[in-house]
Amino acid sequence: MSGITRLIILVLVVIVLAVGAYVVIRQAEVSRSDLPALARLPEFEFVTHEGARFGTEDMLGEINVVDFIFTRCQGPCPIMGGHMSELYELFEDANNVRFISITVDPEYDSLSVLRAYADGMGVRDSRWLFLWAPIDSVVWLSESGFMLAAEDLPGSHTTKWALVDQNATIRGYYGGTDLASIEILKTHIVQLVRDMR
Amino acid sequence: MKSFRRFALITTIATYILIFIGGLVRVSGAGLGCPDWPTCFGRWIPPTSVEQLPPDIDPAQFNFVLAWIEYINRLCGMVVGLLIAALAIWALVKLRPYRKITIPAVVAAILTAIQGWQGSVVISSQLESAVVTVHTLLALIIVSLLLYVTQEAYYEQDRRAVKAPTWPKSVTVSLGILWLVGVIQVILGTQLRSALEGLSEKYPLLTSGEWILTLGAVNHAHMTLGVLLVAFAWVAGFSIWKYRQGFTPLMRQSLGLMLIVISGQLLLGLAFIVVELTPLLQVFHLWLASLFVGLTLVLYVQSRWEVVS
Repeated sequence: MSGITRLIILVLVVIVLAVGAYVVIRQAEVSRSDLPALARLPEFEFVTHEGARFGTEDMLGEINVVDFIFTRCQGPCPIMGGHMSELYELFEDANNVRFISITVDPEYDSLSVLRAYADGMGVRDSRWLFLWAPIDSVVWLSESGFMLAAEDLPGSHTTKWALVDQNATIRGYYGGTDLASIEILKTHIVQLVRDMR
Repeated sequence: MKSFRRFALITTIATYILIFIGGLVRVSGAGLGCPDWPTCFGRWIPPTSVEQLPPDIDPAQFNFVLAWIEYINRLCGMVVGLLIAALAIWALVKLRPYRKITIPAVVAAILTAIQGWQGSVVISSQLESAVVTVHTLLALIIVSLLLYVTQEAYYEQDRRAVKAPTWPKSVTVSLGILWLVGVIQVILGTQLRSALEGLSEKYPLLTSGEWILTLGAVNHAHMTLGVLLVAFAWVAGFSIWKYRQGFTPLMRQSLGLMLIVISGQLLLGLAFIVVELTPLLQVFHLWLASLFVGLTLVLYVQSRWEVVS
């Protein structure tokens, strides 16, 4: 075998390996990033704890993590709040990841109560918003928008979180009190952010 | 001896392909594609659908693609393991007087058996950094032994080969040092890779270049040693080039390829910082490193034989 033939074989081998490796890596990435587009959120209009109007159009262009809470809640909410606050710090440098907590107890949770609660959670910018609306709107958005049960509010509200992409489309649900589920959520947030780039 | 040499060469090439596949498993994140060992989800052939999972396993854990990537790595590992075992038996039965062939062949076979068992530790340790590094290190040693066996067989067979150093002792020594530093550099790189994984969990949204620069000592060591290694390889290359009159084609080719590979490695390393740590380039970075280690060994063995023409 001459030197040239060997060189050609070597180059061919490298090309075959590269193509093969590319296909395998791509397949692995795709297999991990199976985030189905579940449903698009309907048009809604709530108010943030800062007093601004907030609707579907405000979710566009951002990755949103949504949960349902109320400030007097002693059960799962403190745990969920802790998890949400951890994510809030983790994604500090990402200006397109936002956290949204919707109160299921609008009668008690006035905007000023929500503001105090936000302060207590260490919220310092608009990357974490607390949303308020009359109870009927909350039930409607929870059930018809997020497809999450909203019976006997506020006591038995859902502990599920929803991941909503930049097109206001739900991409996944996670157990807000479940650490393993939160870990999965983290990787999915990163995935959506990278997809947006 | 001739057919033995051919078989040794085939085994070496197969081992290099296995090293490539192993790197591929790492970068595609398929290391835990099968959570158990040696079976995959309790089966000898990985499940193809969720229905085939044993009842005690969470279906959410199952990823068809990742399981099969890992499984193919194990299959290839088994084939290479059998090849190396056959090589060692062949050497023991037919080539017993040639100690320089039998001993490394048997050591390679023993290390391969250890490597297979160590693969199970990689899984049960959940890809712990040190354990993955040992897996890589063993692979480099095994492939070096195989290259040594192949070459010794070649020179034993070639009647023109005389055991007398062509090049001064300093060249032989510096080639040995290149091999050793190459191996150390791979260990550092493997550590770096694990540290990067930790960072990517902590700061998920930084770019890969930013992760690399966030890393402290390991990164500096890998970068500094990398630059030194390239410089040293070129210096060694030039000092060997002085003796080019006596070069065989294999010497010329392995020397040229060694310098191309190590220079390409430097460029790849820079690309990781400036552009992006793409998985595809990572696989080649590791694989080229293993080629570099092999090529320095090939040159090292050659520096101890002379082919009289």
